[in-house]
Amino acid sequence: MTPTGTAPAPARRSAPTGSPFAWQLKDIMLVVVFGAVFGFLYWALVQGWIALSVATGPFGDLTQHVLLGGWLIVAPIAIAIIRRPFAGIVAEVIASVIEVVFLGSAVGPLLFVAAGIQGIGSELPFALTRYRRYGWLVYALSGLCGAGLVFFYSAFRSGWYGTDLLLVRLAIQLVSGVVLGGLLAKVVVDALARTGVVDGFAIGRARFGA
Amino acid sequence: MTFAAAPIPDSPLARRNPTVKLAVLFVVSVALLFVLDPVTPTAIYLLGLSGVLLAGRLPGRTVLRAQLPFWAFAFGVFSVNVLSRPGTVLWQEGLLRVTVEGLTVGAALAARTLAIGILAVGFVLTTDSLRLMTSLHQNARLPARPSYALMAGYRLLQLLPGEWSAIRAAQAVRAPLRGDGTVRAGPSAFGRAAFALLVLAIRRGERMAQSLESRGLGLAPRTVWHPVRLRAADLVFAGAVLGVLGAVIGAAGMLGLLAGPGVLF
Repeated sequence: MTPTGTAPAPARRSAPTGSPFAWQLKDIMLVVVFGAVFGFLYWALVQGWIALSVATGPFGDLTQHVLLGGWLIVAPIAIAIIRRPFAGIVAEVIASVIEVVFLGSAVGPLLFVAAGIQGIGSELPFALTRYRRYGWLVYALSGLCGAGLVFFYSAFRSGWYGTDLLLVRLAIQLVSGVVLGGLLAKVVVDALARTGVVDGFAIGRARFGA
Repeated sequence: MTFAAAPIPDSPLARRNPTVKLAVLFVVSVALLFVLDPVTPTAIYLLGLSGVLLAGRLPGRTVLRAQLPFWAFAFGVFSVNVLSRPGTVLWQEGLLRVTVEGLTVGAALAARTLAIGILAVGFVLTTDSLRLMTSLHQNARLPARPSYALMAGYRLLQLLPGEWSAIRAAQAVRAPLRGDGTVRAGPSAFGRAAFALLVLAIRRGERMAQSLESRGLGLAPRTVWHPVRLRAADLVFAGAVLGVLGAVIGAAGMLGLLAGPGVLF
Protein backbone atom coordinates (compact mmCIF):
# COMPACT_ATOMS: atom_id res chain seq x y z
CA MET A 1 0.00 0.00 0.00
CA THR A 2 1.43 3.39 -0.98
CA PRO A 3 1.22 6.17 1.62
CA THR A 4 -1.99 8.18 1.50
CA GLY A 5 -1.85 11.18 -0.76
CA THR A 6 0.75 9.81 -3.16
CA ALA A 7 -1.26 6.79 -4.33
CA PRO A 8 -1.74 7.05 -8.10
CA ALA A 9 -5.32 6.75 -9.22
CA PRO A 10 -5.87 3.20 -10.51
CA ALA A 11 -5.79 3.51 -14.27
CA ARG A 12 -8.50 0.92 -14.81
CA ARG A 13 -11.11 3.16 -13.27
CA SER A 14 -10.01 6.54 -14.59
CA ALA A 15 -10.54 5.69 -18.27
CA PRO A 16 -14.24 5.28 -19.03
CA THR A 17 -13.60 4.00 -22.53
CA GLY A 18 -10.65 1.74 -21.63
CA SER A 19 -10.59 -2.04 -21.86
CA PRO A 20 -14.02 -3.56 -22.49
CA PHE A 21 -13.31 -6.07 -19.71
CA ALA A 22 -12.69 -3.43 -17.01
CA TRP A 23 -16.10 -2.71 -15.58
CA GLN A 24 -16.82 0.59 -13.94
CA LEU A 25 -18.63 0.52 -10.62
CA LYS A 26 -21.66 2.21 -12.18
CA ASP A 27 -21.89 -0.59 -14.75
CA ILE A 28 -21.94 -3.19 -11.95
CA MET A 29 -24.47 -1.08 -10.07
CA LEU A 30 -26.69 -0.81 -13.19
CA VAL A 31 -26.75 -4.58 -13.53
CA VAL A 32 -27.64 -4.91 -9.84
CA VAL A 33 -30.42 -2.33 -10.31
CA PHE A 34 -31.85 -4.35 -13.21
CA GLY A 35 -31.74 -7.48 -11.07
CA ALA A 36 -33.54 -5.71 -8.21
CA VAL A 37 -36.22 -4.03 -10.35
CA PHE A 38 -36.99 -7.10 -12.48
CA GLY A 39 -36.89 -9.29 -9.38
CA PHE A 40 -39.47 -7.00 -7.79
CA LEU A 41 -41.66 -6.90 -10.93
CA TYR A 42 -41.60 -10.70 -11.23
CA TRP A 43 -42.52 -10.91 -7.59
CA ALA A 44 -45.47 -8.56 -8.22
CA LEU A 45 -46.48 -10.50 -11.35
CA VAL A 46 -46.17 -13.87 -9.66
CA GLN A 47 -48.79 -12.87 -7.11
CA GLY A 48 -51.38 -12.83 -9.90
CA TRP A 49 -49.68 -15.66 -11.72
CA ILE A 50 -50.20 -18.23 -8.98
CA ALA A 51 -53.96 -17.70 -9.30
CA LEU A 52 -53.81 -18.41 -13.06
CA SER A 53 -51.65 -21.47 -12.43
CA VAL A 54 -54.10 -22.88 -9.93
CA ALA A 55 -57.06 -22.06 -12.21
CA THR A 56 -55.58 -24.08 -15.09
CA GLY A 57 -55.13 -27.10 -12.81
CA PRO A 58 -52.62 -29.75 -13.85
CA PHE A 59 -51.63 -27.65 -16.86
CA GLY A 60 -50.57 -24.74 -14.66
CA ASP A 61 -47.11 -26.18 -15.16
CA LEU A 62 -47.54 -25.69 -18.92
CA THR A 63 -49.07 -22.21 -18.85
CA GLN A 64 -46.04 -20.96 -16.90
CA HIS A 65 -43.93 -21.46 -20.04
CA VAL A 66 -45.72 -18.55 -21.69
CA LEU A 67 -43.89 -16.13 -19.40
CA LEU A 68 -40.50 -17.88 -19.68
CA GLY A 69 -39.09 -15.14 -21.93
CA GLY A 70 -39.58 -12.66 -19.11
CA TRP A 71 -36.70 -14.29 -17.24
CA LEU A 72 -34.39 -13.68 -20.21
CA ILE A 73 -35.02 -9.97 -20.73
CA VAL A 74 -32.36 -8.74 -18.29
CA ALA A 75 -29.47 -10.04 -20.42
CA PRO A 76 -30.16 -8.21 -23.74
CA ILE A 77 -31.04 -4.99 -21.91
CA ALA A 78 -27.78 -5.06 -19.96
CA ILE A 79 -25.72 -5.92 -23.06
CA ALA A 80 -27.30 -3.16 -25.16
CA ILE A 81 -26.64 -0.51 -22.51
CA ILE A 82 -23.23 -1.57 -21.14
CA ARG A 83 -21.82 -3.13 -24.34
CA ARG A 84 -19.12 -5.16 -22.62
CA PRO A 85 -18.32 -8.86 -23.03
CA PHE A 86 -20.07 -11.07 -20.43
CA ALA A 87 -22.57 -8.30 -19.54
CA GLY A 88 -25.49 -10.63 -20.28
CA ILE A 89 -24.13 -13.54 -18.25
CA VAL A 90 -23.20 -11.28 -15.33
CA ALA A 91 -26.66 -9.63 -15.46
CA GLU A 92 -28.48 -12.98 -15.39
CA VAL A 93 -26.34 -14.39 -12.58
CA ILE A 94 -26.64 -11.24 -10.45
CA ALA A 95 -30.41 -11.21 -10.99
CA SER A 96 -30.54 -14.83 -9.82
CA VAL A 97 -28.42 -14.01 -6.76
CA ILE A 98 -30.91 -11.26 -5.86
CA GLU A 99 -33.82 -13.67 -6.32
CA VAL A 100 -32.25 -16.44 -4.23
CA VAL A 101 -30.50 -14.40 -1.53
CA PHE A 102 -32.82 -11.45 -1.01
CA LEU A 103 -36.19 -12.59 -2.35
CA GLY A 104 -35.87 -16.20 -1.15
CA SER A 105 -36.66 -17.85 -4.50
CA ALA A 106 -38.17 -21.31 -4.33
CA VAL A 107 -35.68 -22.84 -6.76
CA GLY A 108 -32.68 -22.34 -4.50
CA PRO A 109 -29.08 -22.17 -5.73
CA LEU A 110 -29.86 -24.30 -8.80
CA LEU A 111 -31.21 -21.01 -10.21
CA PHE A 112 -27.58 -19.82 -10.57
CA VAL A 113 -26.96 -22.65 -13.04
CA ALA A 114 -30.08 -21.87 -15.09
CA ALA A 115 -29.20 -18.16 -15.07
CA GLY A 116 -25.68 -18.83 -16.32
CA ILE A 117 -26.96 -20.99 -19.19
CA GLN A 118 -29.62 -18.42 -20.12
CA GLY A 119 -26.99 -15.68 -20.05
CA ILE A 120 -24.67 -17.61 -22.39
CA GLY A 121 -27.52 -18.23 -24.84
CA SER A 122 -28.77 -14.64 -24.79
CA GLU A 123 -25.29 -13.21 -25.13
CA LEU A 124 -24.17 -15.40 -28.04
CA PRO A 125 -25.83 -13.42 -30.92
CA PHE A 126 -24.55 -10.10 -29.56
CA ALA A 127 -21.05 -11.53 -29.10
CA LEU A 128 -21.08 -12.78 -32.71
CA THR A 129 -21.68 -9.20 -33.92
CA ARG A 130 -18.79 -8.14 -31.62
CA TYR A 131 -21.25 -6.01 -29.62
CA ARG A 132 -21.76 -3.65 -32.59
CA ARG A 133 -25.21 -4.39 -33.96
CA TYR A 134 -28.43 -3.84 -32.07
CA GLY A 135 -31.18 -4.44 -34.63
CA TRP A 136 -34.46 -6.31 -34.18
CA LEU A 137 -32.97 -9.50 -35.63
CA VAL A 138 -30.11 -9.69 -33.11
CA TYR A 139 -32.53 -9.20 -30.22
CA ALA A 140 -34.87 -11.86 -31.59
CA LEU A 141 -31.99 -14.33 -32.01
CA SER A 142 -30.83 -13.50 -28.50
CA GLY A 143 -34.21 -14.46 -27.05
CA LEU A 144 -34.32 -17.58 -29.23
CA CYS A 145 -30.85 -18.79 -28.18
CA GLY A 146 -31.44 -17.98 -24.50
CA ALA A 147 -34.70 -19.93 -24.42
CA GLY A 148 -33.34 -22.75 -26.59
CA LEU A 149 -30.16 -23.33 -24.59
CA VAL A 150 -31.78 -23.34 -21.17
CA PHE A 151 -34.55 -25.64 -22.39
CA PHE A 152 -32.27 -28.70 -22.34
CA TYR A 153 -31.28 -28.00 -18.76
CA SER A 154 -34.87 -27.32 -17.59
CA ALA A 155 -36.10 -30.42 -19.41
CA PHE A 156 -33.55 -32.53 -17.54
CA ARG A 157 -34.20 -30.82 -14.20
CA SER A 158 -37.98 -31.12 -14.47
CA GLY A 159 -38.06 -34.52 -16.19
CA TRP A 160 -39.78 -33.39 -19.40
CA TYR A 161 -37.82 -35.83 -21.55
CA GLY A 162 -39.91 -38.82 -22.57
CA THR A 163 -43.27 -37.08 -22.11
CA ASP A 164 -45.76 -36.33 -24.88
CA LEU A 165 -45.52 -32.61 -24.26
CA LEU A 166 -41.78 -32.14 -24.86
CA LEU A 167 -42.12 -30.45 -28.27
CA VAL A 168 -45.13 -28.40 -27.20
CA ARG A 169 -43.07 -27.08 -24.29
CA LEU A 170 -40.11 -26.30 -26.56
CA ALA A 171 -42.33 -24.41 -29.03
CA ILE A 172 -44.05 -22.31 -26.33
CA GLN A 173 -40.73 -21.47 -24.71
CA LEU A 174 -39.02 -20.47 -27.97
CA VAL A 175 -41.88 -18.17 -28.97
CA SER A 176 -41.94 -16.66 -25.50
CA GLY A 177 -38.16 -16.22 -25.62
CA VAL A 178 -38.27 -14.36 -28.95
CA VAL A 179 -41.17 -12.09 -27.93
CA LEU A 180 -40.59 -11.39 -24.22
CA GLY A 181 -36.87 -12.11 -23.98
CA GLY A 182 -35.84 -10.51 -27.27
CA LEU A 183 -38.20 -8.05 -29.00
CA LEU A 184 -39.58 -6.62 -25.76
CA ALA A 185 -35.98 -5.96 -24.63
CA LYS A 186 -35.42 -3.74 -27.68
CA VAL A 187 -38.61 -1.81 -26.94
CA VAL A 188 -37.42 -1.23 -23.35
CA VAL A 189 -33.86 -0.29 -24.36
CA ASP A 190 -35.05 2.20 -26.99
CA ALA A 191 -37.49 3.74 -24.54
CA LEU A 192 -34.76 4.02 -21.88
CA ALA A 193 -32.40 5.64 -24.40
CA ARG A 194 -35.09 8.21 -25.26
CA THR A 195 -35.49 9.22 -21.60
CA GLY A 196 -31.78 9.98 -21.36
CA VAL A 197 -31.16 8.06 -18.11
CA VAL A 198 -28.61 5.78 -19.77
CA ASP A 199 -26.68 8.51 -21.60
CA GLY A 200 -23.78 8.06 -19.19
CA PHE A 201 -23.27 4.44 -20.29
CA ALA A 202 -21.79 2.91 -23.45
CA ILE A 203 -25.13 3.18 -25.29
CA GLY A 204 -25.11 6.96 -24.76
CA ARG A 205 -21.48 7.27 -25.85
CA ALA A 206 -22.29 5.32 -29.02
CA ARG A 207 -25.33 7.52 -29.64
CA PHE A 208 -23.49 10.81 -29.34
CA GLY A 209 -20.40 9.50 -31.11
CA ALA A 210 -18.11 10.21 -28.14
CA MET B 1 -45.78 -5.44 1.93
CA THR B 2 -42.05 -5.28 2.56
CA PHE B 3 -38.82 -7.04 1.74
CA ALA B 4 -37.20 -5.94 5.00
CA ALA B 5 -35.99 -9.21 6.51
CA ALA B 6 -37.22 -10.15 9.98
CA PRO B 7 -34.37 -10.68 12.45
CA ILE B 8 -33.12 -14.27 12.33
CA PRO B 9 -33.66 -16.04 15.70
CA ASP B 10 -30.61 -17.75 17.18
CA SER B 11 -30.34 -21.49 16.53
CA PRO B 12 -27.58 -24.02 15.74
CA LEU B 13 -28.43 -23.71 12.02
CA ALA B 14 -28.48 -19.89 12.12
CA ARG B 15 -24.97 -19.87 13.65
CA ARG B 16 -23.43 -21.82 10.77
CA ASN B 17 -21.36 -19.99 8.17
CA PRO B 18 -23.71 -18.76 5.37
CA THR B 19 -21.33 -19.63 2.54
CA VAL B 20 -20.96 -23.20 3.87
CA LYS B 21 -24.75 -23.51 4.11
CA LEU B 22 -25.20 -22.23 0.54
CA ALA B 23 -22.53 -24.62 -0.77
CA VAL B 24 -24.09 -27.61 1.04
CA LEU B 25 -27.54 -26.69 -0.31
CA PHE B 26 -26.07 -26.46 -3.81
CA VAL B 27 -24.31 -29.86 -3.59
CA VAL B 28 -27.43 -31.62 -2.25
CA SER B 29 -29.63 -30.01 -4.95
CA VAL B 30 -27.29 -31.06 -7.76
CA ALA B 31 -26.98 -34.62 -6.35
CA LEU B 32 -30.78 -34.94 -6.17
CA LEU B 33 -31.07 -33.92 -9.86
CA PHE B 34 -29.66 -37.32 -10.77
CA VAL B 35 -31.99 -39.34 -8.52
CA LEU B 36 -35.26 -40.39 -10.15
CA ASP B 37 -36.92 -42.91 -7.85
CA PRO B 38 -39.65 -41.83 -5.42
CA VAL B 39 -38.16 -43.38 -2.24
CA THR B 40 -34.73 -41.69 -2.00
CA PRO B 41 -35.96 -38.06 -2.27
CA THR B 42 -38.82 -38.83 0.14
CA ALA B 43 -36.28 -40.07 2.72
CA ILE B 44 -34.16 -36.93 2.13
CA TYR B 45 -37.29 -34.78 2.50
CA LEU B 46 -38.24 -36.34 5.86
CA LEU B 47 -34.66 -36.11 7.18
CA GLY B 48 -34.41 -32.51 5.91
CA LEU B 49 -37.73 -31.56 7.50
CA SER B 50 -36.72 -32.91 10.91
CA GLY B 51 -33.26 -31.36 10.59
CA VAL B 52 -34.68 -27.93 9.72
CA LEU B 53 -37.27 -28.09 12.52
CA LEU B 54 -34.76 -29.26 15.19
CA ALA B 55 -31.52 -27.49 14.24
CA GLY B 56 -33.29 -24.37 12.97
CA ARG B 57 -35.64 -24.20 16.01
CA LEU B 58 -38.36 -22.94 13.68
CA PRO B 59 -42.07 -23.05 14.49
CA GLY B 60 -43.87 -25.76 12.50
CA ARG B 61 -46.44 -23.24 11.24
CA THR B 62 -43.77 -21.01 9.67
CA VAL B 63 -42.10 -23.94 7.92
CA LEU B 64 -45.44 -25.27 6.67
CA ARG B 65 -46.49 -21.88 5.29
CA ALA B 66 -43.12 -21.38 3.56
CA GLN B 67 -43.55 -24.81 1.95
CA LEU B 68 -46.99 -24.14 0.42
CA PRO B 69 -45.64 -23.05 -3.00
CA PHE B 70 -43.52 -26.22 -3.14
CA TRP B 71 -46.54 -28.40 -2.43
CA ALA B 72 -48.50 -26.63 -5.20
CA PHE B 73 -45.60 -26.98 -7.62
CA ALA B 74 -45.00 -30.63 -6.68
CA PHE B 75 -48.68 -31.38 -7.31
CA GLY B 76 -48.48 -29.74 -10.77
CA VAL B 77 -45.33 -31.69 -11.71
CA PHE B 78 -46.90 -34.94 -10.50
CA SER B 79 -50.20 -34.53 -12.36
CA VAL B 80 -48.58 -33.47 -15.65
CA ASN B 81 -46.28 -36.51 -15.56
CA VAL B 82 -49.10 -38.89 -14.69
CA LEU B 83 -51.16 -37.63 -17.62
CA SER B 84 -48.50 -37.07 -20.28
CA ARG B 85 -45.87 -39.80 -19.89
CA PRO B 86 -46.30 -42.79 -22.25
CA GLY B 87 -45.86 -46.33 -20.89
CA THR B 88 -47.86 -49.22 -19.44
CA VAL B 89 -51.44 -47.96 -19.29
CA LEU B 90 -53.16 -48.36 -15.93
CA TRP B 91 -56.36 -46.49 -16.70
CA GLN B 92 -57.73 -44.78 -19.80
CA GLU B 93 -60.75 -42.55 -20.38
CA GLY B 94 -60.85 -40.80 -23.75
CA LEU B 95 -57.72 -38.68 -24.14
CA LEU B 96 -56.84 -38.99 -20.46
CA ARG B 97 -54.64 -41.91 -19.50
CA VAL B 98 -52.56 -42.85 -16.49
CA THR B 99 -49.37 -44.88 -16.85
CA VAL B 100 -47.16 -46.73 -14.35
CA GLU B 101 -44.11 -44.82 -15.57
CA GLY B 102 -46.00 -41.53 -15.18
CA LEU B 103 -46.87 -42.37 -11.58
CA THR B 104 -43.33 -43.34 -10.51
CA VAL B 105 -41.47 -40.55 -12.34
CA GLY B 106 -44.12 -38.02 -11.29
CA ALA B 107 -43.82 -39.08 -7.66
CA ALA B 108 -40.00 -38.96 -7.88
CA LEU B 109 -40.03 -35.41 -9.32
CA ALA B 110 -42.62 -34.24 -6.78
CA ALA B 111 -40.58 -35.71 -3.90
CA ARG B 112 -37.44 -34.05 -5.25
CA THR B 113 -39.23 -30.69 -5.44
CA LEU B 114 -40.24 -31.07 -1.79
CA ALA B 115 -36.78 -32.26 -0.69
CA ILE B 116 -34.91 -29.37 -2.33
CA GLY B 117 -37.72 -27.08 -1.18
CA ILE B 118 -37.45 -27.90 2.52
CA LEU B 119 -33.68 -27.38 2.47
CA ALA B 120 -34.09 -24.05 0.62
CA VAL B 121 -36.72 -22.99 3.18
CA GLY B 122 -34.35 -23.98 6.01
CA PHE B 123 -31.59 -21.93 4.39
CA VAL B 124 -33.71 -18.81 3.79
CA LEU B 125 -35.33 -18.84 7.25
CA THR B 126 -32.02 -19.15 9.13
CA THR B 127 -29.74 -16.90 7.05
CA ASP B 128 -29.39 -13.14 7.29
CA SER B 129 -28.95 -11.72 3.75
CA LEU B 130 -26.33 -9.14 4.68
CA ARG B 131 -24.34 -11.68 6.69
CA LEU B 132 -24.43 -13.95 3.64
CA MET B 133 -23.05 -11.19 1.39
CA THR B 134 -20.30 -10.40 3.92
CA SER B 135 -19.48 -14.08 4.12
CA LEU B 136 -19.42 -14.47 0.33
CA HIS B 137 -17.02 -11.52 0.17
CA GLN B 138 -14.79 -12.86 2.97
CA ASN B 139 -14.99 -16.65 2.71
CA ALA B 140 -15.81 -17.13 -0.99
CA ARG B 141 -13.55 -14.26 -2.18
CA LEU B 142 -16.30 -12.45 -4.07
CA PRO B 143 -14.63 -9.12 -5.03
CA ALA B 144 -15.53 -6.04 -3.00
CA ARG B 145 -17.23 -4.05 -5.75
CA PRO B 146 -19.93 -6.61 -6.69
CA SER B 147 -20.41 -7.53 -3.01
CA TYR B 148 -21.13 -4.00 -1.89
CA ALA B 149 -23.08 -3.18 -5.06
CA LEU B 150 -25.33 -6.15 -4.21
CA MET B 151 -25.76 -4.97 -0.62
CA ALA B 152 -26.69 -1.50 -1.88
CA GLY B 153 -29.06 -3.20 -4.31
CA TYR B 154 -30.69 -4.95 -1.36
CA ARG B 155 -31.41 -1.55 0.20
CA LEU B 156 -32.85 -0.38 -3.14
CA LEU B 157 -35.03 -3.48 -3.28
CA GLN B 158 -36.48 -2.68 0.14
CA LEU B 159 -37.46 0.80 -1.09
CA LEU B 160 -39.10 -0.42 -4.32
CA PRO B 161 -42.54 -1.37 -2.90
CA GLY B 162 -42.91 2.17 -1.51
CA GLU B 163 -41.83 3.72 -4.82
CA TRP B 164 -44.20 1.41 -6.67
CA SER B 165 -47.24 2.54 -4.68
CA ALA B 166 -46.17 6.19 -5.05
CA ILE B 167 -45.95 5.81 -8.85
CA ARG B 168 -49.29 3.97 -9.02
CA ALA B 169 -50.92 6.64 -6.87
CA ALA B 170 -49.46 9.47 -8.97
CA GLN B 171 -50.67 7.83 -12.18
CA ALA B 172 -54.12 7.15 -10.70
CA VAL B 173 -54.51 10.83 -9.83
CA ARG B 174 -53.82 11.95 -13.39
CA ALA B 175 -55.25 9.10 -15.45
CA PRO B 176 -58.76 9.26 -16.90
CA LEU B 177 -61.18 7.11 -14.88
CA ARG B 178 -63.44 4.33 -16.11
CA GLY B 179 -67.11 5.02 -16.72
CA ASP B 180 -68.04 3.90 -13.19
CA GLY B 181 -65.45 6.19 -11.61
CA THR B 182 -62.89 3.51 -10.69
CA VAL B 183 -59.16 3.66 -11.50
CA ARG B 184 -58.02 1.82 -14.62
CA ALA B 185 -55.76 -1.09 -13.77
CA GLY B 186 -54.68 -3.30 -16.65
CA PRO B 187 -51.53 -4.59 -18.29
CA SER B 188 -50.80 -1.19 -19.85
CA ALA B 189 -51.07 0.59 -16.48
CA PHE B 190 -48.75 -2.07 -15.03
CA GLY B 191 -46.30 -1.55 -17.91
CA ARG B 192 -46.23 2.23 -17.52
CA ALA B 193 -45.65 2.01 -13.79
CA ALA B 194 -42.96 -0.64 -14.30
CA PHE B 195 -41.10 1.58 -16.79
CA ALA B 196 -41.28 4.59 -14.45
CA LEU B 197 -39.92 2.40 -11.66
CA LEU B 198 -37.06 1.22 -13.89
CA VAL B 199 -36.04 4.78 -14.83
CA LEU B 200 -36.20 5.91 -11.20
CA ALA B 201 -34.10 2.94 -10.06
CA ILE B 202 -31.46 3.53 -12.75
CA ARG B 203 -31.07 7.16 -11.63
CA ARG B 204 -30.79 6.08 -8.02
CA GLY B 205 -28.31 3.33 -8.91
CA GLU B 206 -26.03 5.82 -10.64
CA ARG B 207 -26.07 8.03 -7.54
CA MET B 208 -25.37 4.98 -5.34
CA ALA B 209 -22.38 4.05 -7.52
CA GLN B 210 -21.00 7.58 -7.16
CA SER B 211 -21.39 7.58 -3.39
CA LEU B 212 -19.81 4.12 -3.05
CA GLU B 213 -16.85 5.26 -5.14
CA SER B 214 -16.50 8.54 -3.25
CA ARG B 215 -16.25 6.48 -0.06
CA GLY B 216 -13.30 4.62 -1.53
CA LEU B 217 -14.92 1.32 -2.50
CA GLY B 218 -12.47 -0.80 -4.46
CA LEU B 219 -9.30 0.38 -2.69
CA ALA B 220 -7.12 -2.26 -1.07
CA PRO B 221 -6.51 -3.39 1.61
CA ARG B 222 -10.00 -3.37 3.10
CA THR B 223 -11.26 -4.15 6.54
CA VAL B 224 -14.68 -5.69 7.10
CA TRP B 225 -17.35 -4.62 9.54
CA HIS B 226 -18.93 -7.57 11.43
CA PRO B 227 -16.57 -10.20 10.01
CA VAL B 228 -18.02 -13.70 9.47
CA ARG B 229 -15.65 -16.50 10.43
CA LEU B 230 -15.32 -20.06 9.28
CA ARG B 231 -15.34 -22.36 12.35
CA ALA B 232 -14.66 -26.04 12.89
CA ALA B 233 -18.39 -26.55 13.60
CA ASP B 234 -19.16 -25.38 10.04
CA LEU B 235 -16.99 -28.12 8.57
CA VAL B 236 -18.57 -30.68 10.91
CA PHE B 237 -22.01 -29.48 9.73
CA ALA B 238 -21.05 -29.79 6.06
CA GLY B 239 -19.51 -33.24 6.63
CA ALA B 240 -22.58 -34.46 8.56
CA VAL B 241 -25.12 -33.31 5.93
CA LEU B 242 -23.15 -34.68 3.01
CA GLY B 243 -22.48 -37.90 4.95
CA VAL B 244 -26.21 -38.42 5.56
CA LEU B 245 -26.91 -37.72 1.87
CA GLY B 246 -24.29 -40.27 0.82
CA ALA B 247 -25.60 -42.84 3.32
CA VAL B 248 -29.22 -42.47 2.10
CA ILE B 249 -28.24 -42.75 -1.57
CA GLY B 250 -25.92 -45.67 -0.78
CA ALA B 251 -28.61 -47.51 1.22
CA ALA B 252 -31.16 -46.96 -1.57
CA GLY B 253 -28.64 -48.34 -4.05
CA MET B 254 -28.00 -51.47 -1.95
CA LEU B 255 -31.73 -52.07 -1.52
CA GLY B 256 -32.15 -51.76 -5.28
CA LEU B 257 -34.50 -48.79 -4.98
CA LEU B 258 -32.26 -46.18 -6.57
CA ALA B 259 -33.02 -45.05 -10.14
CA GLY B 260 -31.14 -42.56 -12.29
CA PRO B 261 -32.10 -40.23 -15.19
CA GLY B 262 -32.31 -43.30 -17.47
CA VAL B 263 -35.97 -43.84 -16.50
CA LEU B 264 -36.91 -40.58 -18.26
CA PHE B 265 -36.18 -41.81 -21.75
